[in-house]
Amino acid sequence: MAAQTGKVTGTVNDSKAGNPLPGVTVKVPGGKATMTGPDGKFSIESKTSDVTIEFSFVGYTSKKQKLTVGEPATINLDYDSKSLSEVVVTGVGVATSRKKLGISVESVTADKLPAAPTASVDQALIGKIPGAQISSTNGSPGARTNILLRGINTINRGTSPMIMLDGLEVRATDINGLDLNTVERIEVVQGAAAATIYGAQGANGVIQLFSKKGKMGKISIDVSSSVSTNSIINSGNVSKANMHPFTTNAAGEVIGSTGKLIELDPALSMYKENVQVNLVDTNTFSNKPYDKNLQYYDHYDQFLKDAYTTNNSIAISGAREKIDFNFSVSDNRQTSNFDNNGNFSRSNLMSNLGIELVKGLKFRSTTQLVYTKNTLNDATGRGVFFALNNSRPFADYNYKMPDGTYGYYFGDATGVNGYNPNYRNSYSTNLDNKIDIVQSFNLNYKPVKFVELDAKYGLNYQTQDATYDVLPQDINANAAFNKRFWSGNYYSTTDVGKTGSIDNFRYRTTFQNFLGTATFMTDFQNDFNLNIPIKTTTQVAFDYRENVFKQYITYGGDAPQYTPYTASQMVNYRIQSDYTEPFVTYGYLLNHRFEFGDIGGISGGFRSDYSSAFGGGSKPFTFPRGDAYIRLSAINFWKESKLGNVIPEFKLRAAYGEAGIQPKSFDRYVVLNTVNLGNSIAFTYPTNSPNPDLNVEISKELEIGTDFSIKALNGKWLSSINISATYWDRKTANAIYNVDAAPSTGLGTVRDNAFGLASTGFQASLNSTLLSSKNLTWSFTTNYSKQSSKITSVLGGTPIVVLSNAGSSNYTLRAGEKIGQLYGYLLLHDVNQLDNSGNSYIPKDQQANYTLASNGYVVEKATKQPYVTSGKYSFGDPNPKFNMSFINDLSFKSYLNFSMQWDWIYGSHLYNQTKQWMYRDGIHSDYTIPIDIDGTTGAYTAFYRGVYAQREANGTKDYFYEDASFLRLRNISLAFDFAKFFTIPGFQRLQLVLSGRNLITVTDYTGFDPEISSGTNNSAFDRGVDHNTIPNLKTYQIGLNIGL
Amino acid sequence: MKKIKLLLYTTILFSALISCKKQLDVKNPNQPTPESARNEVGIISLAQGGIYRNGFISLKYSDGIYGFFWSGAIGFHEMMGDAIQAEAANGFINQIGAPDKAILDNGSTVLNPNSPNTQIALLRLINVNANQGANTLYYEWAYMYSLVNAANSVMEITEQTVFTSDAETKKSTLKAWAKYWKGFAYSRIGSIYYAGLITDTSTVTNGNYVTKEAIIAESNKNLDEAATLLSSISNVAAYTDILGKIIPSFNQVGKGGVLAPDMWKRSINTLKARNILVNTPVATMSPAQWAGILALTNDGIRATDKVFTGRSNATSDFLSAASGTVASKVQANAAGGNTYKLSERLVQEFKTGDKRFTNNIKQTTTWIGSADRGHVFNTRYTLVSGGTGLAGVKVYTNVTPGEEELFLAGNYEENELMKAEALINTNKINEGLAFVDAVRTYQGAGLSAVSGTGLSPALAKEELRRERRVAFPFIGLSFYDARRLGIINPLSQGGGRKGAVVIAGSGAVNTNATIEYNYLDYWDVPDNELAYNPPGAGSAIVKNPK
Repeated sequence: MAAQTGKVTGTVNDSKAGNPLPGVTVKVPGGKATMTGPDGKFSIESKTSDVTIEFSFVGYTSKKQKLTVGEPATINLDYDSKSLSEVVVTGVGVATSRKKLGISVESVTADKLPAAPTASVDQALIGKIPGAQISSTNGSPGARTNILLRGINTINRGTSPMIMLDGLEVRATDINGLDLNTVERIEVVQGAAAATIYGAQGANGVIQLFSKKGKMGKISIDVSSSVSTNSIINSGNVSKANMHPFTTNAAGEVIGSTGKLIELDPALSMYKENVQVNLVDTNTFSNKPYDKNLQYYDHYDQFLKDAYTTNNSIAISGAREKIDFNFSVSDNRQTSNFDNNGNFSRSNLMSNLGIELVKGLKFRSTTQLVYTKNTLNDATGRGVFFALNNSRPFADYNYKMPDGTYGYYFGDATGVNGYNPNYRNSYSTNLDNKIDIVQSFNLNYKPVKFVELDAKYGLNYQTQDATYDVLPQDINANAAFNKRFWSGNYYSTTDVGKTGSIDNFRYRTTFQNFLGTATFMTDFQNDFNLNIPIKTTTQVAFDYRENVFKQYITYGGDAPQYTPYTASQMVNYRIQSDYTEPFVTYGYLLNHRFEFGDIGGISGGFRSDYSSAFGGGSKPFTFPRGDAYIRLSAINFWKESKLGNVIPEFKLRAAYGEAGIQPKSFDRYVVLNTVNLGNSIAFTYPTNSPNPDLNVEISKELEIGTDFSIKALNGKWLSSINISATYWDRKTANAIYNVDAAPSTGLGTVRDNAFGLASTGFQASLNSTLLSSKNLTWSFTTNYSKQSSKITSVLGGTPIVVLSNAGSSNYTLRAGEKIGQLYGYLLLHDVNQLDNSGNSYIPKDQQANYTLASNGYVVEKATKQPYVTSGKYSFGDPNPKFNMSFINDLSFKSYLNFSMQWDWIYGSHLYNQTKQWMYRDGIHSDYTIPIDIDGTTGAYTAFYRGVYAQREANGTKDYFYEDASFLRLRNISLAFDFAKFFTIPGFQRLQLVLSGRNLITVTDYTGFDPEISSGTNNSAFDRGVDHNTIPNLKTYQIGLNIGL
Repeated sequence: MKKIKLLLYTTILFSALISCKKQLDVKNPNQPTPESARNEVGIISLAQGGIYRNGFISLKYSDGIYGFFWSGAIGFHEMMGDAIQAEAANGFINQIGAPDKAILDNGSTVLNPNSPNTQIALLRLINVNANQGANTLYYEWAYMYSLVNAANSVMEITEQTVFTSDAETKKSTLKAWAKYWKGFAYSRIGSIYYAGLITDTSTVTNGNYVTKEAIIAESNKNLDEAATLLSSISNVAAYTDILGKIIPSFNQVGKGGVLAPDMWKRSINTLKARNILVNTPVATMSPAQWAGILALTNDGIRATDKVFTGRSNATSDFLSAASGTVASKVQANAAGGNTYKLSERLVQEFKTGDKRFTNNIKQTTTWIGSADRGHVFNTRYTLVSGGTGLAGVKVYTNVTPGEEELFLAGNYEENELMKAEALINTNKINEGLAFVDAVRTYQGAGLSAVSGTGLSPALAKEELRRERRVAFPFIGLSFYDARRLGIINPLSQGGGRKGAVVIAGSGAVNTNATIEYNYLDYWDVPDNELAYNPPGAGSAIVKNPK
């Protein structure tokens, strides 16, 4: 056969999506190499008519294929999201193959993210990121998740990680506002070792989203729609007592102290007389049915209903030779689970446009517009839930007075902390509009092969306008009688003739980020013809960030009786707040990286940042970083041994980084407060004093890890297992927090570098293909995270006591203890129970007065009340010992997909403050549970009331501190693609998806939902209290995805 | 082309670097700095806000149920003085005024249903730093030291301030203002805490705790210094101008206003008389003490004097109309309908025919609270906001903004009844009773005169006791009286109260009940102070040995 030289040509496509792949390396072994163009096409000289060409592309499995000159070929490359050939950019600055990473970077591609009913990125990420604890802590529409990456590194700034979109920080817009449909993939770097390159704001880790881009080939149109029904989870079967302990007459009717029946005054919607009950009386039992003058109303039935969510999105995308585009629009609508509590909706518009201006100079603009409208009257739902949980069940809150209005407060008889949510909803409305702009421009220029220049500018703007409107209630007979009116946030309603108010809130956040990067790359072999397999990358960057937050709040009080009206027609009007918070930080990054062939690499650098928190004359803070890895599997002894067959990939890595966490904008600026006193402006001293001597918090982290793959079995089953594991250890010095000042100084607290913190953790992930046959693929992933943070030192040595934002539960920040521990009184389980110093809690000579009740608690025989210790003790660390998720994905042929994710949170604890409040007035169903005390059995109210009130009414007690471990079927979905099954012309996809979220929860927790937390969002310590927070939702969803 | 682009990049980078440094100087653009207080206008603003806000409102802890100083800290006194009661447990307010026991008409004893079931044990249990804002004992201490700190700061800055004119008068006025409020603060501290601290420099404290007697002496010292400064005022116009700017306009109504220097000095005398009266048990008062009180009250507040008052406004700048005072938290349409419940023991003090009763108190359906929270708080009565309209009769509360007048530190009635008490106790019964009559007339009680009716000393004292109860309840004096009259002592020591009205949980009205309060007379120093400022060597005892 005569040798025929010429050009081999062809197109490289993605095997699954079918789109052309630009940038694929096309190489003749031992010869020339080229790359595919934007259309995926290539052309390369061959000296023979047949030639085997090697195609390699980051993120794809490399492939060798024999081609013939003159016969254009199509090459399909398999995308391998789980392989170590995947490429990441977050934390490394320059796109790097996972095989050559010295740090741990977690990633997840969009196809692995569930279409959560909220269509939010944070919800979708739950359980997907090994090492991360992402919790859905409130089931209200629009609620944010708690995200904890690696440890508690700062108390001042909480645990919020930095959110990035395509290389730029997004600060004004919360992650839950970004459109899940536009996300291509997500990378997460968790530690300072990696996040240092992003500066101080990256100390809590970074979550980076990458937007979808248009791909070469036919323009694709994707439409998806789903609808879901959501009901609140009540895994602890919480209910109110269906039996009561109130004094009754001979006929069993509940009577007041006058002897008259307890009856609702219909004109006032009021029980004018209180029920008679003494819950600590040992003869009081919750054992009488609500079947006479008082009836039992299931308030959960009255107020909780199924909520509905709809999601719709359309995306059009495509690419031509020098341009790619992706336009999409999404819409999410959610109703509230509470009757008449309003709705939540979010619409996202996205455009991603890339243009190659001249050869080597690329311009990209991505725009995301988000419009959020929230009419939820009680945005967190906690107000309504508290009112319901604290109302005795005989209150019929659907009762309307003769004029058709609802009563507000039905009298002390129905519980002093209860009120009618119908009243609130009928007299107040909330309208909260938010517009977010997330815009970025990127100019990328490769003038020569060893230099890349990149400039990015991002503008992230959020404007929020909210109005809380409270109607006048002067004519409401119940409110006028009780002198209780629903009021706005600022104007306190005093009496009839003074009701009604309008609160106007305006918030603006403008965040700008400029990032200029120059990257210099050398390859000693190719560039310098040296026979050393060294490649170097040097990254120099300048990073400027400016955030300006503005707040303007006004209120008008004493509304007119006519409608319509505006705030300008109120009798009283005031500007409540006019506040601007500017923050500027900028810095330089230098990072240098060496790679030694495929075997190993090392990188190091530093970042130096200025911050406006320190003012104009300040010096920058500089922090170093470094990492290294070695791939033993790339060394010959490994490759050629049996080990190489079984463990084809084995890497060890280590990284170290430091980050300076800056004080908040005004933490160092000493000021006077001002306040209006009538027609003068007075100066006052702030109760929480800033501190001009405040320093940066310094977080240092070391991580050590390994990535390896195992070739387990040859055949369909268990063909490969990839494992990544990382141990990390970090410490924060000078953590900032408000430290109590002695009251005699006249100060409340002073901000100080008060704490030392230390955290360690271990994270691992296992990805495997359990089965890979012609028709069926079954992949299995498990993610594991274990972490623990403690306080190593406290300034002055005196513990700092902090109250939960959620209410009456005390946290104590004490040196040597885990952060976020609750302190409180103990109930005993043995009459002779000993304290830590070996002494009996109950003195020996008094022990005869106590006995162990059938429910396991020590009670006083005479009073039937539990014994409660006089001292307060730590309950331990409420944070989980570990959390794991188990993810299964099965696909049968091309048309049937099944996936399932279980999340297991182990060892977490919650303080069930909800229950404690329900113990106050005898409302909780526990009151009906009989107990045997000293030989007599009964539903002793004295015991339950005693739990609430002994030693300290509503005091923090271990009785309510419960194991909140749970196993949850987070997600289950079955998808059937009609287009693939029937091969419908014109349709790429016609997929019907049935899915469920949170369908099963296995837990011992006796509250509504073990996952919720009522503390401040992303608080460093306030993570362990459930105080009437809305449970998560159990969701059934049906969706249709159409691809044209 | 390439070079141009490279140059462009470099230029952008470097210009950005250079321009940044200036931008770091953001400061805090929202608020003035302490520098702003160092001029005439600024120091006036600080003298106003430091006293009215730092002194009575702004603390690191607060609770809306009992509110700020004038409804909360003062409310605690009124609970322990059994003028009001509470069912809510915030800050243990249902417990600090819960007596140890009540013996009903039928002889049955009802113990305090709470845990712990004695007030002394409760105060000891809750006075721990970990209790933060739930520690009832924290508030009065913290408010008053916040007031002292603000006053110290006003003193210091006044010295450094350059005044535009009449510097001496203006400085004296400001310093008298600061000294006076320090005197007030120490009076409150020394009259409730077993020990205290004397601090003379802003934001600086010391661990040298001194006895309550030394604190009262410090109160008198500051009050005397204020009086001396007032005596030095020569330019009354400048004085009036400054004081008129310090006192918020909404407080310059009724009895409130700009006190002439002499009026202010008389207010000082009344407060000094209070310092003597309330801190000594009546039984052990010496003739010299009575003489001292008489001397001070003879030159004390007059009926026509302006005094220091507080009022609400629509925006609740100092007091909230609906809930800024103790009395406003009692008023309701139905008995027990508000946070504070009107005590049956206060209502029973009104003599038959007293128009103040008719004008202010309404009987409704009896309010019965949860028997597990309290045993003497049930009540048939409530206060009427704004009164029922009897002309010229005292009104205790009014929730219309600006209508209720709160006396911050002494009034005419208090002065006259102290005078009366000194006279009655020095065997000038009729002369003393005449002042009781005068106060009743002043408040429009419409009661017939008791002077000249031949009352025995014991009956005269009872007449006086009842009048003090009804003439100025709800403003922080009730507990002082219960303490000095021995009512808070155990029954075994002659304390307690006989012939008391108590509504049982069943609704039964007992009219001859006996109540054993057994309360701690002076509170321990709050643990939030002790945790961050432990007593140094040689300190006085910080915990009441009782």
